[in-house]
Amino acid sequence: MLRIFPALLLLILSLPHPLWATDLRALVRKAEEQYMGLSSKSRMEMRVRSEHWERTLVMDAWSLGREYFLVRIIAPSKERDVTTLKADKEVWNYLPKVDRVIKVPPSMMGGAWMGSHITNDDLVKANKIDEDYSFSLLEETAEHLLIECIPRPDAAVVWGKIVYEILLPLEIPGKVAYFDEEMQLVREMIFDEVRQIDGRNIPLRMRIQPTEKPQESTMIRYSELDFNIGIDKSFFSLRNLKR
Amino acid sequence: MLLRLASRNLWRNRRRTLLTLSAMVVSLALLTLSLGVFSGMLVDILSSTTEQYHGHLVINAQGYLDDRDMYLNFPSDPELLKRLQQDGEVIGSSERLRGFGLVSHKDRSYPAELLGIRPEMEKTVTKLHSQLIAGTFPSDADPNGAVLGSGLAKKLSVSPGDELVFVTQAADGSIGNDLLIVRAIFSTGHSGHDNSLILVPKAWLQQLMALEGKIHEIALAVRDPLRAAEDAQRLTSQLNDGLKATDWGELLPEMREAIASFDVSRFIFVVILYFATGLGILNTVFMSVMERTREFGILMALGMRPLQIRLIVLLECLLLGLLGTALGLVVGLLLSSYMALVGIDLSGWITPVTYAGGTIQPRLRAIFEQRNFIDPAYMLLLVSLLAGFLPARRAARLQPVAALRED
Repeated sequence: MLRIFPALLLLILSLPHPLWATDLRALVRKAEEQYMGLSSKSRMEMRVRSEHWERTLVMDAWSLGREYFLVRIIAPSKERDVTTLKADKEVWNYLPKVDRVIKVPPSMMGGAWMGSHITNDDLVKANKIDEDYSFSLLEETAEHLLIECIPRPDAAVVWGKIVYEILLPLEIPGKVAYFDEEMQLVREMIFDEVRQIDGRNIPLRMRIQPTEKPQESTMIRYSELDFNIGIDKSFFSLRNLKR
Repeated sequence: MLLRLASRNLWRNRRRTLLTLSAMVVSLALLTLSLGVFSGMLVDILSSTTEQYHGHLVINAQGYLDDRDMYLNFPSDPELLKRLQQDGEVIGSSERLRGFGLVSHKDRSYPAELLGIRPEMEKTVTKLHSQLIAGTFPSDADPNGAVLGSGLAKKLSVSPGDELVFVTQAADGSIGNDLLIVRAIFSTGHSGHDNSLILVPKAWLQQLMALEGKIHEIALAVRDPLRAAEDAQRLTSQLNDGLKATDWGELLPEMREAIASFDVSRFIFVVILYFATGLGILNTVFMSVMERTREFGILMALGMRPLQIRLIVLLECLLLGLLGTALGLVVGLLLSSYMALVGIDLSGWITPVTYAGGTIQPRLRAIFEQRNFIDPAYMLLLVSLLAGFLPARRAARLQPVAALRED
């Protein structure tokens, strides 16, 4: 009995927590992966509204797993063919006007991507939420789950915490709130216009709202979305970035 | 008669007087020299900040300096520029547009601050063109010539003739990007500027940032940088609403504090040195008064009044002080002019130090500043008089009979 007791205690202490956490992690991961599948091709429209201007970009995007991502601007014509490649942890931009490829340095990862409210860091790290954070359930109702994501001590992330809403029963993202290190709400990401595509439930529209600037926002809307299009790693090369 | 008595007394014990005199001369000479070198350092550090980047004062839209918001710009106005150039105090002016973004060469990219300028105008305000370590400063006709800091050039591994790509978000939200050609590389010793500053043609940057005809500031050079605050105030009152002139003291509060603290430490330095010198004088005069107790007794017995005795002693001190001051000033001037003309180069031992936003060059060099001579000279006179006060009082209070009896 004495020998079994500590083992039992350990089991009781450790068991419920990881099981639970794995569950939440899988949920978040699933919600994030809905968009990507194994590979995907999409056309999207990004409308950025800032204090001084408003503009709309039309872009084509390709992705492979969570590691590879390529976006090419189609319109407006002034910026046509400006292309961003994300491969693993690096972000590259191709600028057709000067015909040069530029690697985004670590110090600029916090900068805006294409003038939107998405940062380069978002492109690199957003899809790794299940690896960099630990999860706990804040609230559970029939309509949604609220999951609090706290960065792991060793994770190099910019947020203090993220509160992730998963809509039930479809298990798709609803509203994601980002907090800074002082636990102040910095921005919210809101998903809507859910459609079924290739058997997946996908919110086609995503809006990013910086909390401090209510008059500014970035809205991304998918107009076309195809999954499992049969492209491989070689598509996401610097050569293809230039095209 | 009193004066003659005093001067004769002074030379009675020649060796002692000369010793005291030399102490005065040395302290005054060294003081003026070190104050000159101090001032030299101060001017170096002040000019490094103002003449390498800001100018003595800048005119911006209200609020621009807080976070350099690119939208707080104002139209380039030839009328305004002309009016500024006609101002008696303004000796140089330069219109500038500022942009922050990513500069890249081959597979290296770094954040940089771009200053859109017209080279010939910029030369009237800053001295970057005289701090080049490679290449030549571009002319006004150069469409895309860039001058960048040595640290940045090293990080990007570029030299004159190489090409740079600059990317930033333009004022209309679009992605501004274009090519630059490196024309020259400057090295100021200020790590911040050397590592991030690039001068580019104003028109090029205006086009890239979609800010045609707009500028963020007019940098000015004035005749007397130490009075820039007054100029700023005067100019602000003449400017249109929404524009404001700011002097270097406001741009660089730490620099203003450095200069204020210099004034305080100068004062402390003078006080300490003169305290020692004053004690030396006090000692000499006291000794000579003690030696002459009998003599003073006789003078008093002959009818000289205590006030006159006191005056004699004070006059001795004053004469000593005048002599010391004159000689000290001469020696100080000689030493200072050596340090001003030749100086001491320390670059073999130390590298430039960035302090309070400015750069202290590795050299000792004096500059002539009136008050570095006048203040210590007056104070030396004052100290000699103060040092004579006690002995003079003692001599004046002697009782003739008792004094006569003294050994």
